[in-house]
Formats: sequence, structure tokens, C-alpha cells
Amino acid sequence: MKSKTNKKVIKAAKETVFYLFLTTLIAGMLLPVYFIISLSFLSTREAYQYPLPLVPAIKTDMELGYGERGYLLSVWDRIDKEYQTVLDTADLEKMEYYIKSQLGTKITEEELLIETSRLENSDEESIFFTKPRALLNNYDTFFTVTRDAVPALIRSLQIAGLTILISLSIGGLAGYAFARYIFRGKDTLRFSVLFVRMFPGVAIALPMVFILAEANLYDEPLGLSLIYSVGAIGLTIWITASIFMGIPVSLEEAAQVFGASKFQAFMKVTLPLALPGLAASAMYIFLGAWNETVAAIILTQFKPTFSVVVYQTLLGASGQVNLAAAGGISMAIPAIFFTFFLRKYINRMWGGVKV
Amino acid sequence: MATTKPKSLRKIWGQATPYLLILPVVIYYAIFWVRPVIAVIIGSFTDASGIFTLQNFVMVFNDESFFPALYNTAIIVIVSVTIEFIGALFLALLINRKFWGSSIFLFLMLIPMALPAVATGAMWMTGLTAHGWINSLLYYLGFLAEGEKIYWLGGLQQNQLKLLALVIILDAWQVIPSMMIILLAGLQNLSEEAKEAGYVFGGNFITVLRKITIPILQPTIQTAVILRLISAIQIWLIIVLLLGFGRLPVLVERIVYYHEEVPGLDISYQMAAGYTIIVSVIVSLTALLYLRVSGAFKKEETV
Repeated sequence: MKSKTNKKVIKAAKETVFYLFLTTLIAGMLLPVYFIISLSFLSTREAYQYPLPLVPAIKTDMELGYGERGYLLSVWDRIDKEYQTVLDTADLEKMEYYIKSQLGTKITEEELLIETSRLENSDEESIFFTKPRALLNNYDTFFTVTRDAVPALIRSLQIAGLTILISLSIGGLAGYAFARYIFRGKDTLRFSVLFVRMFPGVAIALPMVFILAEANLYDEPLGLSLIYSVGAIGLTIWITASIFMGIPVSLEEAAQVFGASKFQAFMKVTLPLALPGLAASAMYIFLGAWNETVAAIILTQFKPTFSVVVYQTLLGASGQVNLAAAGGISMAIPAIFFTFFLRKYINRMWGGVKV
Repeated sequence: MATTKPKSLRKIWGQATPYLLILPVVIYYAIFWVRPVIAVIIGSFTDASGIFTLQNFVMVFNDESFFPALYNTAIIVIVSVTIEFIGALFLALLINRKFWGSSIFLFLMLIPMALPAVATGAMWMTGLTAHGWINSLLYYLGFLAEGEKIYWLGGLQQNQLKLLALVIILDAWQVIPSMMIILLAGLQNLSEEAKEAGYVFGGNFITVLRKITIPILQPTIQTAVILRLISAIQIWLIIVLLLGFGRLPVLVERIVYYHEEVPGLDISYQMAAGYTIIVSVIVSLTALLYLRVSGAFKKEETV
């Protein structure tokens, strides 16, 4: 009886240690991600502070007093634990703009007017007031101020969609041939995935400028998706072959026994069964096309993709780290969303893949 | 006679099916891969006026950053592929134990793979500056005194090893998940009986791993490693995002450097083309060597 409870205790202890270990691992892996998310919510003033605040503020404490030029605005500094003067102006419109752009807090001119009259009517040297932070301010600014952000987002979706269409149709056919037939050149095709990757992608993007210009596809979504498909088709062949191998040939043969043609058997039996796996490989292709930046920088001019816009916010002259973080996170959201579904199909996609 | 003809036609048709199915891929590669590749190859063997020359390669070998680039690339490839393989295998083995919550754990571990390069770039750039979040965190944790800072990206030429280590760690962070999913798929197809047999005959975790799991997993490991090897030799973006051009030269960074940074120079295109060909030759030779050593070709012959 005693040894039984002992065993239980040992088991529970082991599990605790195991899950503690997992938590540490997750924390270590995702710590950088946490900071970029946190940064995307920080106000511009706080984003450039050192040490950087660990969590975004949810409210802004402000102090209003009299300055030389008008009203003196001070703001509570969470690091130094004191009110710090940031602005001296009589212009309430300017103050409103400052509070929005630098402190990431929304306040109307009327509200400021109320606060100033409260100050005028009191005997105190200054008054205090608190406003909730506009947490999504950076996202808001990124999409409204950054020229092109929304059209670029739409273009990126278009490009990803076209890449999926091209690579899945062309690569899927070859993947099926790979799974079901023995033919000459099969090994060459199997290694083609590797061949295509052996030549640096950046180096190909440059001659592609001329090839695309010839076809009037330079700076067009279709042109870029044609380039992305070069890399994507190879992996799609591997992955779709793996998916089709997982569906028994006997099912197709059975359909043929009942009078279906080979094509009908494929359409009515194999394709529906392969559909979830194919959807998963579509998501995989999406990730590649959506995240790609380098070829997009080289092959676009007036019609940048979303990744290029984020890249420019990050490195451009007007770049601001908290805005770039907001752009990067908005870009990561669809990618992470698809990854959530992808994890169930890992076995189907890669299970049959062999060099 | 009349009845055999359609039959043989159908037979020919049947034999042609696989070729028809792969025809679109062949055409596609011919237009969008072979053509630009040939353009670069021609560019590497001609001078600015289009006359055949080997001068481009001589210039590349005489480029003062060529050997540092080669050396840095070699170190990154050897160390990072090793680290990434061990990390990925460890994670795959862990997730394959199918504990409570393993599916969510898998999802969380896949997040670095899903992040776009610009997002990770922003993440490390804001982290590694002197007033970035890494130093802030170290300060909060008490490892750094007030006003004390670590200059992660600072330091001069002699501190290349530190920069190499940094690049390898950041690269591993992002790449381990994509390697892990391939290994995990292989593990999921592994029969439990083989492993159980190993335990029955007195093996411990390590011996079962060494003598049973890894040998059966061999083809999967080949797939994961070869894909990684090929892209590790071509690492550059994270380096340029963090350090700019020239601070830690690697081979593909040189291609982009000559194309993007010095396009005014007469020989910049030739240099870029020359570097491109050298990189592709190195990648192909490494890949072939790996496949030979790991026995991928032998297996084919026996099948």
C-alpha cells in the first residue's frame, strides 16, 4: 500500500519536472517573440527608452502645469518612477498630436480644453489626469500612415494565391506520377528539388528581371508568383507524392473495376481523400510566398509586396522600431494561423519523402 | 488486326501517362530556372563586352573578401547544421512521446518557422542593439549593472568569432522547427515494435536510439540534412540585416553585395556572376559528397 503511494508520488514528481522543463523550453524559444509583440504595443516614447519596459502600459498618467510658452505637459515615466516634462506649448492641437504620436494615447482637443480649464480654475500649480492607452495605435498608424500598406497586403495575398495555384497544379501532377508510376527519369525528378535549390535564389532573381520584363510581367503579382513557384514546385512534388502514396492504389483499382475510367477514379476516389493533405501543402506554399522578401525587393518597383513595405519601415529613413514591429506582427498573424492547422498534417506531408 | 491496334495505342498511351504528368514541370523549369541559370553561367564566362574570358574567376579569387567569406561560410555550415540537427532531433523525439499537450507544444515550437524574415530581422535588430530588449532583460534580471551594456554587434574585425556564434544561434532558432517537422514525420512512421524489442533485450534509451531509431530513421535524416545543408551554405539575409555588408562576409552575401551595393563598378556584374557559379559548384559538390557518404546512392542501386 505504501509503495503504491510512493510510486504515485514519484510519478507526479517526474511529471512536474517534465512539464517544468517544457515550460522553460517554450519560454526560451518564444521569449524573443514576446518582446517583438510587446514592442509593437509600446508608445514611440517608450520604444526608445532604456531599459525597455517589459510590458506595454495600459494607461498614461499625465501632469499639466504652467510653462514658459503655455502649458507644461509631463508624463509619468515607468522606469524612472517620476513625472518627466515632455512638452511646453499653448497649442492644444499640437499637444493632442504629441500625445497620440509619441505617447500612443488618444485624447480629443475638447478633453484637453476641459483639463486646462480645470487647471485654470484650481489653486494648484498643476493637475493630474490619466487616459487609457490606445494599444493598437502602432497598428493603426502602420496601416494608415504607411503608404501602400493595404494595397501591398492585397497584392501579397494575390501572389500567395497564384503561387499556390501554379505550384499545386504543376507540382501535384508530377507528384501523382511519382507516387503511382515507374518511369525513366524518376530519380532525376526526385533530385530536381535539390538541383533547383543549389543555385542561389538571389542570383536567379536578377536575370529574371529581364525575362519578366520581356513578358511584361515585371512588377506584376503574376511575375513574382511565377518566380516563387520555381522553389515551391520542387517541394510540392515531394509533399504531394508523399500524400498520394498514403492513399492505397487498390481504391482506385476498385473504382475502375466498377467501370470508372482512370481519370474518373482519380477525381472521385483519390482526390477527395488527398484533399486535406493538399490543403496542408497549400498552406506550406503560402508560408513561403507570403514571407519571401529578397526576390520581392529586386522584382518590384511601384507595386511592392507587404513584406517589402515592412522591410522599408524597418530600414527606411522614416523607420520606427515600434511601427516596424507592428508591421512584422501583422505579417506573422496569417502565417502563424496556418501553422496552427499545418501541425496536424506533418506526417502526411513528409512521411513518404525520401531523398 | 483491327482489335490489336487500339490496344497497343492504349498501351502506348498508358506508358506515356507519367511523362505527360511531369511534362508541365519540365517546361516550367526550362523557362523559369534553366534560362536564368544559363544567363548567369554565360555572364560568368564573359567580360563586359561579351567576349569569353576566365578573368572573372581570377578576380573573384583575388577579391580580398573571398577567402574570409569561404572560411566564414564553412564554419557556419559545419557548426549550424550539427547544432540544428541535434536540436531538431531532440525536439522531434520529445514531441513524438505524445504527452498531454504535445500538440500545442508542437505548434508553439513551429512559430519561429512561421515568422517572416522581416519580423525576425526586426526582432533581433531591436534586441541586439546596446539599448535593446536583450540588455534590458539582463538588466532586470540583475546580470547588468545600471548603465552597463553589452555591445552584441559591436567590436572590430578581430571579434569575428563572436559574430559567427551569434549568427549561428539566431539561424538555429529559426531553422530548427522546419528540420524538426521532417524528422517528426519520420519518427511517427517508425514502428513501435522495433523500439520495444530493443528495450526487451535490455537496451536503454541511448542504445535504442543509436542502434534502432536512428538507423531506421536514416532516409528521413538524409532528407532533413541535405535540405538544410543546401540552404545553410546560402545563408546571408540575417547577416546583412544585423551587420550590413562586409562586416562578416559570406559567399552569397558577396553576390548580393556586388549586385546591390556596387552596381556602378564595371566589373560588378561579372564578380556577382563569378561568385554565383562558385557558390553553386560548392553547394553541388557538398550535396553530392553528403549523399554519397550517407549512402543515398547505394540504396538506389539495390532497389
